[in-house]
Amino acid sequence: MGGGLAGFTAYATLRHGGLAAAEIAVFGTDPDPAAEWRRRAEAIRQRRMRSESDGHVAATSFPGLAVRSAIRRRDLMPLVESLFDRYHPTVHDFLEHVAEVRERSGWEDSFRHRRIGAIRAVDGGFELDEVGVFAHVLLAPGHPGLAFPEGLEGDERVVHAYEPHDYAVEVEVVGAGMAAATEWLNALAAGAAVVSVRRREPERRPLNLPRELFTRRGLRGFHATSKEQRLGLLRSWSTPSYPSGREWDEPLERARGESRFRILPELNGGEQIICATGFKRGFRNDSLLSALVDTHALETADGWITLAPDSTIPALTDETRTLAIAGVPGQWAFPAADTLAGHKYVARRFLRRILTCRTR
Amino acid sequence: MSYTLRGRLETRLAASFVPLAAACVVALVLESWWPVELAAIMIGTGLALDGTIYHWLFSYQPGWLALPLALLELGVLMAIVSAFGIPAPLDFALLFFAGSWLLGQILVHAGFPVARLSYGEDGGELGNAGPAAAAAAVAVFAAAGGVAWATQPPTVHLSAGIHQGPLLIDHSQKLIGDRGAVVRGGIVITSDDVTVRNIAFTGGEIGIEIDGAENVKIEHVRISGTSLDAIQARRASVTIRDCLIHSPVGEYTQGIDISFAFDLPPSFIEGCTILGGREGIVTHFANVHIQDNHVSGTTLRALGLTEMSMVMVEGNDVQNALGVGIYCGDYSECMIEDNVVGGTRPDMASGDRTRLGYAIVAHSGAKAEIADNELSRNASAAKAFLGARITAE
Repeated sequence: MGGGLAGFTAYATLRHGGLAAAEIAVFGTDPDPAAEWRRRAEAIRQRRMRSESDGHVAATSFPGLAVRSAIRRRDLMPLVESLFDRYHPTVHDFLEHVAEVRERSGWEDSFRHRRIGAIRAVDGGFELDEVGVFAHVLLAPGHPGLAFPEGLEGDERVVHAYEPHDYAVEVEVVGAGMAAATEWLNALAAGAAVVSVRRREPERRPLNLPRELFTRRGLRGFHATSKEQRLGLLRSWSTPSYPSGREWDEPLERARGESRFRILPELNGGEQIICATGFKRGFRNDSLLSALVDTHALETADGWITLAPDSTIPALTDETRTLAIAGVPGQWAFPAADTLAGHKYVARRFLRRILTCRTR
Repeated sequence: MSYTLRGRLETRLAASFVPLAAACVVALVLESWWPVELAAIMIGTGLALDGTIYHWLFSYQPGWLALPLALLELGVLMAIVSAFGIPAPLDFALLFFAGSWLLGQILVHAGFPVARLSYGEDGGELGNAGPAAAAAAVAVFAAAGGVAWATQPPTVHLSAGIHQGPLLIDHSQKLIGDRGAVVRGGIVITSDDVTVRNIAFTGGEIGIEIDGAENVKIEHVRISGTSLDAIQARRASVTIRDCLIHSPVGEYTQGIDISFAFDLPPSFIEGCTILGGREGIVTHFANVHIQDNHVSGTTLRALGLTEMSMVMVEGNDVQNALGVGIYCGDYSECMIEDNVVGGTRPDMASGDRTRLGYAIVAHSGAKAEIADNELSRNASAAKAFLGARITAE
């Protein structure tokens, strides 16, 4: 369930794993799996991905986007950059790759234009609205909506970074993560004066989490934590961050020298306020997940549904059926669940469960 | 990639399987065990570094780091190979390491991620295939080691005391003498892959006779009182190290004679001391390296390299020869470097003008290249006769 990038990545993985298109049903509202992501990327004028060569939607890590780019352009530079973790594909290359995978995967054959309103565990699997019963279900509901700081939603001066917008002469950007940093540079390039409104200093790191948390090396310890410890870790990792590098720092330094970039802890009455504050958090903001939790009295922790390390819901998963969660609601299993790496993590484990299911 | 410890070890072993198997094949073709030893050291070095250093030092390992780590491993590998005297040719060792490394990189970046979708997320672990690959690598190594062990020549100990010769060795073995082991009347070796070590020989016509055998090692032997040759090799490939030869003064006595083996692997004579005799070291139609030996008191010449031999003469100390110190004759080609030749006396009684106390003589179309030799107290230095040529670098 879910026709976005998480669902699409899972679909490509299942197809690679030998499932026929007819064995898979994808429920979504837009047949283009990158549609929502593209809208957001266009809104913040994103040109390069934060992810690296293996930040793609194909089932196997190899060939990554660096290899594909090197072959297409007959240029070894992407490979060299990849060796030094300096390769970040362009948004254009990424979207082109999504289109390629979409075309060859049979996605259209499995896609059903429908929003699922409710899911319920029944004998033999899970009932999705009145559509039918499925033994193995992957929930990839996406982000539950844009987050605005308290009191700002509805303010005429306010626009969210992920909504289409231009820049006023003076812009206040709320937030300090990747989207905010992108907006600082966008607004400065558009000639605006920028106020960065933030209460926490951003961390500077290449990916949105330390690298070892993308592999078993870091995950083993994470999965071994108690509920309280894991909550603490997830909260600590929500600190905003963006990559280090001259391409980020030099425009800001230059603008600072021209008195066009300031940092303030509070809003300062600017004519435009851009909220680069990401998305609403917690399963309660998603009606389907919220109802699922209530119906089956699922175990939760603060805003997270507690999941097994393979991102399945333990109470509703056994040898005969699987209910797994991908995307941002899957952070309990994989802290970077809202990244392409997170989508793959869940997809591969979902495939493994299906292939080993006795009743498949 | 952020490897787990298990991931590092499984990846290393799985990537090592093909090089190890290739080393076994090369070992079978060459009938020599050093390729397997080389592979084992390479893999063992990698595993040791994985477990003791890499895992703790690198929580994340970027792609570029593979190259400096490979150079570190290559350095350790070559140091161990050198320390243990494993006879792996340098070019082969470098090529083998580079090929293995390249294959490993291809597997890590492409092969394993394709074969196992979650390879990266699993920190290099290979699931059920990991232990299987490790077991396969261990099995190949164990099999190779077992074969090596089983085919090793047996070791025979010669007890202390006098053993009456001539002894005949006609199958592979290591004949190791206990302290005080003496053979009177010599020994004859007719089999390949024979080692003779720590034995004293006395009397007889020939002390050690090697006939039609390859890969023969003569180490730490003392020979005295022979009436013809202390060591004589015919149609043989032999390595003679650290021997002591007292040759009695006689009409035809020679210290070491290696002859008629030009088409066989080269022979080596290293670290021997030869005192007296008609000639110290003699070659006929053979390819021989003569290095770091002491030869003195000979009555014909100290080193006689003749009959189209190809000889490298390096670092030897030749003293008090009568007539000629180093002789390169009969279309032989000799490289004579870094030797000390001193006290060569003229043999006036012979009436031979080529024996007027020359440190080095080239004779009868031979070519001698000489460099950095120390020639002192000789009646004459170096001279070529009868179409021979001496060139100095």
